[in-house]
Amino acid sequence: MHLKRRKFIETTASGVALLAAAGCDQLPRALQSLLPPQAGIGGPFRPPAADQIDPLVHVLNHATFGARPGDYERISKLAKEPRAAAMAFLEQQLAPATLEDRVAEYAARRFETMGEPLGELFEYQPKLLHEELMRATLMRAVLSERQLFEVMVQFWSDHFNIDPSKGECKWLKVADDRDVIRPHALGKFPEMLRASLLSPAMLWYLDGRVNRRRNSSEKPNENYARELLELHTVGVHGGYTQEDVMEVARCLTGWTVRSKENKPYFGIGKVEFKPDLHDFGAKRLLGYVLPAAPEGLNRELRENFATAQLTRVLEIVTTHPATATHIATKLCRHFMADAPPEGAVKAVAETFRHTAGDITPTLRTLFTTDEFWAARGNKFKRPFTFVASALRAVFAETDAGMPLVRYLERMGHAPFTYPTPDGFPDVAAPWLGTLLWRWNFAVAISENELKGTKVNLKTLRERVGGDEALACHLLGRRPTGEEMQAYHESGLGVALLLASPAFQMC
Amino acid sequence: MNSLQTYTTGNGDEQHTLVVIFLRGGADGLNMVAPLGDDGYFRARPRIAIDAKTALRLDDFFGLNPLLKELLPAYQEGSLAIVHAAGSEDDTRSHFEAQDLMEHGGLAGGGWLGRFLRANNSGSNGPLSAVALGHALPECLRGAPAVTVLETLADFSLGTKRAALVNQLAKLYGLQNTEVGAAGRSTIEAVRRIADMRNTVYRPANGAVYGNDDFAKSLLELARLIKARVGLQAASLDLGGWDSHFGQSAVMNPLMVRLAKGLAAFHKDLAADMQRVTLVAMTEFGRRVAENSAFGTDHGRGSVMFLMGGSVRGGKVYGRWPGLSKDVLDGPGDLPVTTNYRNVLAPILERHGGQPALPQTFPNFELNPVPIFG
Repeated sequence: MHLKRRKFIETTASGVALLAAAGCDQLPRALQSLLPPQAGIGGPFRPPAADQIDPLVHVLNHATFGARPGDYERISKLAKEPRAAAMAFLEQQLAPATLEDRVAEYAARRFETMGEPLGELFEYQPKLLHEELMRATLMRAVLSERQLFEVMVQFWSDHFNIDPSKGECKWLKVADDRDVIRPHALGKFPEMLRASLLSPAMLWYLDGRVNRRRNSSEKPNENYARELLELHTVGVHGGYTQEDVMEVARCLTGWTVRSKENKPYFGIGKVEFKPDLHDFGAKRLLGYVLPAAPEGLNRELRENFATAQLTRVLEIVTTHPATATHIATKLCRHFMADAPPEGAVKAVAETFRHTAGDITPTLRTLFTTDEFWAARGNKFKRPFTFVASALRAVFAETDAGMPLVRYLERMGHAPFTYPTPDGFPDVAAPWLGTLLWRWNFAVAISENELKGTKVNLKTLRERVGGDEALACHLLGRRPTGEEMQAYHESGLGVALLLASPAFQMC
Repeated sequence: MNSLQTYTTGNGDEQHTLVVIFLRGGADGLNMVAPLGDDGYFRARPRIAIDAKTALRLDDFFGLNPLLKELLPAYQEGSLAIVHAAGSEDDTRSHFEAQDLMEHGGLAGGGWLGRFLRANNSGSNGPLSAVALGHALPECLRGAPAVTVLETLADFSLGTKRAALVNQLAKLYGLQNTEVGAAGRSTIEAVRRIADMRNTVYRPANGAVYGNDDFAKSLLELARLIKARVGLQAASLDLGGWDSHFGQSAVMNPLMVRLAKGLAAFHKDLAADMQRVTLVAMTEFGRRVAENSAFGTDHGRGSVMFLMGGSVRGGKVYGRWPGLSKDVLDGPGDLPVTTNYRNVLAPILERHGGQPALPQTFPNFELNPVPIFG
């Protein structure tokens, strides 16, 4: 990826200077030829036509950030039966590496800072990094073919939430997104947890970097240990005690990050183990005994010992039955209902457990539960999903610019702005106050009022075949009589549908 | 009206509104509320100290800058309190660092007010539960559920030519017997109420007169919102430009007038409604005790905080005065901070029903609240 980027810049005549002068958003015409063509709305397409949300619409609602023009027709051809076609689509989405994603890759490449090595991130203004991170996230949600992957990236970004406004997370969150969340989003949970535990941004965010115990009178910092148990693994009622929190904290003492305050100024952002800060005594965690280090180990062996113990801690917490239930509950809440159905949680937890936290088969189980197929149109879209789904539905050409992010800010859902470690809420209630901004957004996008975002509703209406068909496309089902009447009488049909109660649900 | 309130806040017309004013740039507390009883003050500021003869006496030690005279009635009637030598633990004397720490409430993600509103969240938040008046979201509100940044009430609408759209949305949301339907109906009610407000000329009550500056205009919009009872829990606004390194009086005097006039008008206008409001004004740091060669002052530490509200036990200057002798001054010669700003905010948040939310609002800080409420 890095090589490719370099090549891209080299190919351009004095590319760096040109890019600097023009800004990446306005590539000179000569450079635009290097970009792949926009796919465009394409030819005529067939929208859903049932009175209720059918299985195809249902998977598009949940495994993607919303259907684009033509998506429904395309996936309906994957099999004869709608349910089988929907499953075939899910299988494609569960193997993101097999999905060609050139358009999104090119579009996200404009956010140059996202590819910077850890230490070099510190050369940038935090504001720029945060903006590029938000914009790249939105860009991928809108454009990527690997939609379920992006959905899961968002899920894990909430699960392992880090607010970049704290300390050096300002620089390090970019690396956390790239090196922790994205590589593991459809991978193995224990590996993601380990990466997160040793993520420099996480060590800053939950104070792991100052968790130390040089002698028996020093008190470890429990912040990370508590969230590890409460939020990341076993869950608040998962059966751990305050002692367990303290013991986990002791196990994790000594892992710290080189700060920009450190002199000499190098290796900044690097995670280091400091044996002198680690507690080598015996510990007891969730009923397991973790022995003390033998006396007289040299520095290297001491580090090996502590690392092996860290591995053991991760093993204990990730294989704890409550962890499977906790993750399954959150997944079912996300994909099904605010109050996740018990039967589904059980089934999903079971797969999580017997695959040792393999996320792909866990999701496969989720998508085969009856509860998933029954839970149609009953989740209130969070603002980010609302915005992304509206952009996708009308096939907006967008630079994922700050005007869009401002709308998300107003709705309290700009990516990476959630202050506490529990992540943005995944239930309806906290978001019910955001409707006015959704409506304003619906008007702004359909009236082409957003700088950097363009829609062509006339073409869209033509391709889908008129007003009623357009409503079918936007709502994922045949509109009611009232909806069609409102469409016509509002004077702003598309805005009305995007603002309507039905479009807020998925 | 009641339904909207119940939906947004759950406690009807009793909704309390917290107004946070940030005086950006480092406001000189020593020349706003001068320690007339401390000779060190006059010695350190031979040319720019407030004249003891013209200062408005607050007690037998402090005097109010005459340019803040409009604040005196509220002080005398007991609804304005002052905390002196207040500030944060940040000793970088950098505007950015100090504002950042103060607004974040320590080394933590999000702003203190944002975290407070999240943690104090009783369920759902109305469309106007948190408002930042201005063009950008201030850091203190970062992470709040649904913050609205607006310059005027006109921003809270679907535009002026969208009546048909609003009517159709009202129909569709009216048909939904769900929480989303209810939220849509409440939102439309709020939009309509604010549209009505916009369409009527606002006449401040009790002969209150707001100025024409942005600060006064924001306060006026805020007063309207509070009176309209749309579920406003918190509002923030800025009055910036206090960085008085050079020719301090030219920099500060107009700002002090604006501050005092604005607050006085707001106070007079809201009158009985001030019972439901607490307003706090604060700055990232105060100025050096000694004046510099350019009739100005450099970045310091302690400054003042102003608190206003019906239940504030006002008419009093709070805080321990540390004195200005060389041995007590901080760093290069600054008024030490004897009251951490969190200890002033905490009792306000408690009063706004958020006692359980305090640990999340101000993490890693042992609170010792100043008893500013009766």
